[in-house]
Amino acid sequence: MRFERKITNRGRRGLVAGAALLVLCPLGLAIASRVLSLGGERPPPLLERPAAEHERCIKDTPYMRFHHMDLLKELRDAGVRGGAKREVSLASCKGCHTSRAQFCDRCHDRVNLTPDCFGCHDYQ
Amino acid sequence: MNRRNFLTAAGGTILLGGAGAYGMVLIATPAPGGLMSPRPPSTRRWGMVIDLNKCRPDCTKCLQACRTENNVAFHGDKRWDIHWIRKVTVRSKHSQSSLQRTVLLMCNHCDHPPCAQVCPVQATYKRDDGIVLVDHHRCIGCRYCVMSCPYNARYFNFRENPDWPNRDYPKRSHGVAESCNFCAHLIDRGELPACVTTCQRIGVGAIAVGDLNDPQSEVSRLIDESAPKRIREDLGTEPKVYYVGL
Amino acid sequence: MSDTQIEYRRIEGRSTPFYQMLLVLTVMAVAGVVATWILWSEGLHLSGMTNRIPWGVQITMAVFYIGLSAGSLVVSGLYGVFGRIEYKPFARLAAYIAMLFLIAGLLSILTDQGRMDRVFVEPFTHFNVRSMFSINPGLYMGHIVLCVVYLWALFREKKLLTRVAAVVVVLWAITVHTGTGMILGFIPRELHQSPLLPPSFVAAALASGTALMIIVLVTLFRLTRRHLDDALIVWLGRLLAISLVVVFYFMFIESAYRYYLIESREAARFYLFGGFHSVLLWGGLMIVGCLIPSVILFHPRLGRTIPWIVFAAAMVVFGVLCERYVIVIPGQTNPPELFPGMVITTSPLDEGFVSYSISSYEALQAVGVLGIVGLLFVLGLKYLALAPVEARLPRGAGS
Repeated sequence: MRFERKITNRGRRGLVAGAALLVLCPLGLAIASRVLSLGGERPPPLLERPAAEHERCIKDTPYMRFHHMDLLKELRDAGVRGGAKREVSLASCKGCHTSRAQFCDRCHDRVNLTPDCFGCHDYQ
Repeated sequence: MNRRNFLTAAGGTILLGGAGAYGMVLIATPAPGGLMSPRPPSTRRWGMVIDLNKCRPDCTKCLQACRTENNVAFHGDKRWDIHWIRKVTVRSKHSQSSLQRTVLLMCNHCDHPPCAQVCPVQATYKRDDGIVLVDHHRCIGCRYCVMSCPYNARYFNFRENPDWPNRDYPKRSHGVAESCNFCAHLIDRGELPACVTTCQRIGVGAIAVGDLNDPQSEVSRLIDESAPKRIREDLGTEPKVYYVGL
Repeated sequence: MSDTQIEYRRIEGRSTPFYQMLLVLTVMAVAGVVATWILWSEGLHLSGMTNRIPWGVQITMAVFYIGLSAGSLVVSGLYGVFGRIEYKPFARLAAYIAMLFLIAGLLSILTDQGRMDRVFVEPFTHFNVRSMFSINPGLYMGHIVLCVVYLWALFREKKLLTRVAAVVVVLWAITVHTGTGMILGFIPRELHQSPLLPPSFVAAALASGTALMIIVLVTLFRLTRRHLDDALIVWLGRLLAISLVVVFYFMFIESAYRYYLIESREAARFYLFGGFHSVLLWGGLMIVGCLIPSVILFHPRLGRTIPWIVFAAAMVVFGVLCERYVIVIPGQTNPPELFPGMVITTSPLDEGFVSYSISSYEALQAVGVLGIVGLLFVLGLKYLALAPVEARLPRGAGS
């Protein structure tokens, strides 16, 4: 009985260690990559600027930078579920940000993100 | 004015303003040959009347138009092909006559849609104007709606659609369900669904879409005149696609 | 013997066969994960499902697993609910198995979705009270939580909590089963819609769960050389036999009703004599699943012989699996009648009778779920004190 207890404790410790390793691994990798590229901070991605006549977006730049997805989701739900009004949508973005490759993808690629939008909505 | 009052007032203003602007748009839209109803949007009830006596057996124009307008997937494999409209021929089981009849089958936009009832995420829903459609952003692909549709009118995207003819309209990813939505995006702009437009353009005019709640509309008139039938009315789903000459 | 004296012991889990078993189960689980990943990223056209057969082997297996779960739980509840003290030694193991198979059921449903990535968000944020498919996962998850509470009470030997939890859990299991039956029984298709389906689900669940417990108990006690009184298994065999009669009764009534009424006779004929599913219905469920095991279990001599009981139990598990198949599949392969009195001669869709064939990806998914559950089971035996050292009838109560 005592012998078994010992095995179990060891097993349990192993489990905990394994789980901890699994959780910490990505974190460690991230820190390592950060440390290794120290001093060489990557420049922010270059984005295509809209033409001068479209200087203003529907919200300010800091908001759009961090919350454009929330806004798009809000507009999406209002458009699809809320009824017929679809004046502003993902398609409206194309009016100013004409190229997905030179605008959307620049940041998405940088953070290794594939939004679900473009599989079904055309945005060249 | 305390905060709550202010918010209420602000909200009211926005709502009224929105409604006003919307009304303006509707009144301002001229729709020659298009879709108009004098009733406000939420009290409309879109329905369809198909005249099978006019429908030509060998014509597939509406099917092609639907496929092109809505990016409906065609893989060339019966198991996975999606048909928002499909054309079938039927024959009496009992009489000896070999008279064949061609019938267009599609989503019936039931008033009591079994598909919307069973959808676990409310992705399939019935709009206020009676159109049954799928919110493809929400569909989890459980296929319960495909199971429960008594008309075999719902389809699942078993594989990615290779074609994308109409770039202005989204396609669907694999893993979600879909069915005819009366071209809701066109109806909302005051235009007729793609199948109706095409059928009119080729001079057949077998399909009509309109507001069932509006006694003056073409569909109401056709229903009054020719007492059309609906498919499996006995199921109690109250379909809104009517057939003349079935 | 008072019920606090039961000694539980983990299995040692250091032998070569044990590690071989772990390896096999891991390979199964990995195969399932890989198959699921491919299906999810490539699309479900790699499964055998079509637009006419939207539900295939995964739903069949889900229903089967949930049945096994509820049945095992009833065995576990023999002590807590019905006060049968001689079955207390099995309570932990049975409750643990019940929990595992519920997880298996949930996994099967989860891996069957076209957009698995949304399953963890949308059903919770947009709950649809009118959908059986919305209500049931809630019931399943509640069931798992209740199982954990009940197991905790059993492990800590909390007498009152055990009894309360047992009653709640058994009632909940019956509800879960009724709910699962309602998913299929409330579908407006000729071979699905039936108010008898939920109760017949409960009966089949009880049969398959009891049968599974008989197999697991006898095998486990033999393999680990623990003592198990024959009378305990014989009584479970009786319970199994009675539930088999109920399963058969429900199936008979349902089919007879459909066949007798002229409007559904054609569908009933397809169901009873229409193809591969009819072979499973008659051969798998009726003969192998009900008739032969009933004869064995009611037989005065064979019904008291442990190997025969185990044999009968294995046939019942197979029979109930066949039953799940004939509940899920033929209702879809039988076409809905769009035009009464007419036949559809041409259509771009398969409008007539269709057939379903399982693809290797789906089969691997099912194997994977079994692998995961098997892993959890053997690891549970190793790390949790689930199984008693011995299971004996209380003195003076023996037969």
